Amino acid sequence: METTRIPAGTPVPGRPDSFRDVIYVWEVLRGLGITIRHLIRNCLHMKDLPTLQYPDEKRVYGPRFRGRHRLTQREDGSPRCVACMMCSTVCPAGCIHIIAAEHPDRRIEKYPAVYEIDLLRCVYCGLCEEACPCDAIRLDTGVYEIVADRRDKFVVGKEFLLNERERGTL
Amino acid sequence: MAKLTIDGVAIEVPDGTRLFDACTQVRGEALPHFCYHPDLSIAGVCRLCQVEIEGAPKLTIACNTVVRDGMVVHTRSERVRRAARQILEMHLINHPVDCPICDQAGECGLQDQYMIHGLYASEVAKSDKVLKLKAQPIGPHVILDKERCVLCSRCVRFCQEITKTGELGIFQRGDRAEIGVAPDRQLDNNYSLNTVDICPVGALTSRDFRFQKRVWLLRSVPSICPGCATGCNIRIDHEGGQVWRLRPRRNDAVNGPWMCDTGRLEYKRLHAGDRLSRPLVRRDGELREVEWREAWPELEQRLTAGKGKLALANPHQTVEELWLFKRLAGLFCGEDLTAGCLAGSDAAEGDQFLLDADRSPNRAALARLGLAARAPAQAAAQAVAGAPVLVYGGDPALADPALAAALGAAELIYFGTRLNATASRARIVVPLAMWAEKAGLFLNRQGRLQALRAAIARPETAREDWRFLAELLTRLGAGPQPATLALLRAEVGAAFGLPAAQDLDALPAEGLVLAPVTGAPAGGGR
Amino acid sequence: MAFALETLAKIGFMLLFMLSLLPALIWAERKGAAFIQDRTGPNRASILGIRLAGLVHPIADVLKLVFKEDVTPARAHRVLYSLAPFLVMSVALSTYAVIPFGDYLLVGGRQVPLVVADLSVGILYVLAVASLGTYGIVLGGWASRNKYTFLGAMRSSAQMISYEISMGLALMGVLLIFGSLRLTEIVAGQGALLFGLVPKWGVVVQPLGALLFITAVFAETNRTPFDLPEGDSELVSGYHLEYSSLRFALFFMAEYCNMVVGAALITTMFFGGWQVPWLPRQTLEQHGGALLTASLGLAAVVLAVAALLLMRRARRERGKFGDARDREPGLLGGVCAALALAAAAALLLRPWTIGPQAASVYATFAQVGAFIVKTLFFSWLFIWVRWTLPRFRYDQLMSLGWKIMLPLGLVNLAVTAVVMALS
Repeated sequence: METTRIPAGTPVPGRPDSFRDVIYVWEVLRGLGITIRHLIRNCLHMKDLPTLQYPDEKRVYGPRFRGRHRLTQREDGSPRCVACMMCSTVCPAGCIHIIAAEHPDRRIEKYPAVYEIDLLRCVYCGLCEEACPCDAIRLDTGVYEIVADRRDKFVVGKEFLLNERERGTL
Repeated sequence: MAKLTIDGVAIEVPDGTRLFDACTQVRGEALPHFCYHPDLSIAGVCRLCQVEIEGAPKLTIACNTVVRDGMVVHTRSERVRRAARQILEMHLINHPVDCPICDQAGECGLQDQYMIHGLYASEVAKSDKVLKLKAQPIGPHVILDKERCVLCSRCVRFCQEITKTGELGIFQRGDRAEIGVAPDRQLDNNYSLNTVDICPVGALTSRDFRFQKRVWLLRSVPSICPGCATGCNIRIDHEGGQVWRLRPRRNDAVNGPWMCDTGRLEYKRLHAGDRLSRPLVRRDGELREVEWREAWPELEQRLTAGKGKLALANPHQTVEELWLFKRLAGLFCGEDLTAGCLAGSDAAEGDQFLLDADRSPNRAALARLGLAARAPAQAAAQAVAGAPVLVYGGDPALADPALAAALGAAELIYFGTRLNATASRARIVVPLAMWAEKAGLFLNRQGRLQALRAAIARPETAREDWRFLAELLTRLGAGPQPATLALLRAEVGAAFGLPAAQDLDALPAEGLVLAPVTGAPAGGGR
Repeated sequence: MAFALETLAKIGFMLLFMLSLLPALIWAERKGAAFIQDRTGPNRASILGIRLAGLVHPIADVLKLVFKEDVTPARAHRVLYSLAPFLVMSVALSTYAVIPFGDYLLVGGRQVPLVVADLSVGILYVLAVASLGTYGIVLGGWASRNKYTFLGAMRSSAQMISYEISMGLALMGVLLIFGSLRLTEIVAGQGALLFGLVPKWGVVVQPLGALLFITAVFAETNRTPFDLPEGDSELVSGYHLEYSSLRFALFFMAEYCNMVVGAALITTMFFGGWQVPWLPRQTLEQHGGALLTASLGLAAVVLAVAALLLMRRARRERGKFGDARDREPGLLGGVCAALALAAAAALLLRPWTIGPQAASVYATFAQVGAFIVKTLFFSWLFIWVRWTLPRFRYDQLMSLGWKIMLPLGLVNLAVTAVVMALS
């Protein structure tokens, strides 16, 4: 594509500068007026500020909010997951790591020996939830405060994800 | 020749051609099918490949029909499509649809056919399906899931016609019919994993590959099996820097669509634990890891210090590597050249089919390059104590105790990939690439040149063989060496007496058969 | 001896004034920015639950900076790198020497002039010392051995040279009118009334000069819209990018010191310095008692209202946080109430009966107060402008300095000179 060089000093298309714009001082004063109006209004009506005092106040999220994942359980407490890798295949962030293994029960056959999610990599898109043929993973805990002091602590395993209910986050 | 019309396209095929193949030619893709396999007899049991032949009252299966002059065939009519869908639905009546845990998922005939020809809503409740035995090991390498089977009988025919061992059969009748091994038998022939390949569904799966990886995550590279002198064409399926399985690749001139289980499990040696990744130099009696910049001067000094008498190559190296090694050996041994390989290494029991008694892939090239074989005792005699000895790959120290002792006494320099008995006796050990990590050419027992391709990355601190050899030659003052693999191959091609127009980077699909050797090998050291 | 003590006391006062103003200015910057942008601003740091609307944050900041690692880049010029922040800070502080912050204070019957050094060439001193400040920035930027810091330093020096001229020219008009380089005389000259109506402040007789001077001072102090040496969006943070810990703190504080100096200069040159408008010293002294009484009364009323509001808030918001922060409104309300009571109690001492000496001291305090109030206003102006205007582009900066302000300054000077010669 051919590009044209615009010579320096070419006026930018749009509203032509008025005399007030050229003088500038007038516009500066007008700007100062606007900012001080905001300041005074906010000083007098501090309650109307949109800022949320976060740890004291928390935003209420809708029921479809996607928080931290959990693995659902069978009746005996083992994961419903059959390690089909649909989630890790569909995951756009590549944050799910599964190692499959042979299950002693021949009707179950396959189960995840390792099921790890890197919560730092996850983009919480929920595609894993949609891809799962067994309803084994859900993002319905509503937990969004995902905090740790070391990187490796953000890689959570099967035990952690299975016991979300016991931790009372659900 | 028979002239017929398929889907409105006039086509002429030789007499005796199967209608199935003629349809494939016209359509560009095969008809839906499970039981048909070009290398097996016709069973005609799956009924999926039905086509409409004008004049015939009913639909006819294409696989069991031979073309006739003047035939008018329709493969895409509504009648044909409905038939395929209904047959498919019948196949799926008792299928467990456990794709999430099925290793076949992703390369499954049922899945593919369903997505192309099926797409109906199932009317069979899960509780109404006939349950059969799942996950039953039927041999050392194969596991059987009877529920998933569509009774196409490919595996049964394979065991009867190809291996002629007949372990498998179909037992019972009706919806209880199932594949099984004969009583007191196991599917334990050395080609059993081919049944896994030809099984169009997940009924037969590999015990070795079971649950290892989903197949759609694998990347595939065409290559050559390094397991024996046959040189079966394979695909290397790899992911994450690791090879997960090998599969045969059709080459009717070599292996057809098959390969042996021994070769198929060859990849396991790639990931064995004793991999060399850094140069080792013996200091104070112990091999220590060093940086390349420390290893180079040591190598140069050892190789120029005194004339050696023995340089042992290995039939597991590629043609290009052996070519450069011969040049190096010439430089190293001078006139007193004793470069060659160990006679009888890699000898084992072969069979009359694909597995060769010589378990090395490139011995033919050694002979052609004039790197003669010698007995271990002879080699031991030539490994003079205190003199440098060059060993490229393999583990000759394991072959013969006398040779092991001689190698230990000599100033042994070892180029290779494994910290084996020979490497642990060496003064300097140079880490190189393994067969799945490099490109190269193998000359098989038929004198057929076939190309090896790199699938996975070697450890960063290991070198690609030919680059290492070329750099070493340059450092030792042998003059400029080929800068690219293509230039190196051109040299090798000239040495093999190939016309200059023959591009060894683009070999024919079935490989390049070299003319038998007529005299002394051409070329050699510069 | 007495002179030395007086001078030390005055230096002490100025230092105390400056350094105690710093946290307040930083607080005003943050809180002001927040409110202008419809945010709440800092309100977390607390000492035993006392947050003072974020005033504790500067203390927390200083503590943080003190305990941070002091990093010197590996290839930096160590001596100059360490020297630069101190240079900037000391230059910022030494400008104060010539700025009068009051008329005089009667101590033991002696009139002590309230200026550290009443130089006959005060303005020249100001201009000379102010331009030295660039050295610190240039040295800091150069010694860091970082292209961003270096670019910041280069910008700073170019900007300083460009705007110093306009600054000097803008002052020339004032000099012509008041006929002196001595700052005390300039301030004294601004006490008169024009036509018996308007205070004869610099801004009234030299409006264009005042505008040019204020603009130039903004540029000299590297504040928005002239903060190109920092230019966080293009230079990361400019000349002090590599500094950390206390040395960074020095740069940071120097910026605010410079701001206060600039505000004090604007006040002194164009807004009457310590002069209380329409209330010359004689008036203040004559009606000292009445004015003092009125001041105390006003203070008592304001404090009482504040105390009432805080108490009400304390009752309304009881248990809002469930921690020490809940005590804050009550505690502050108590303090306000106590102060209001103290002011009211002072009224019982019959302040309207004070003698002439006390009245003189009161007049001095009122004048110093006027100076402080004016300086604070112009310091706030710096903040206010920063959160109103975007940064200039570099070519805009240069063309404003050379093509607009310089000619305007020359015209202003010429017109003033002609008018002065004719009158």
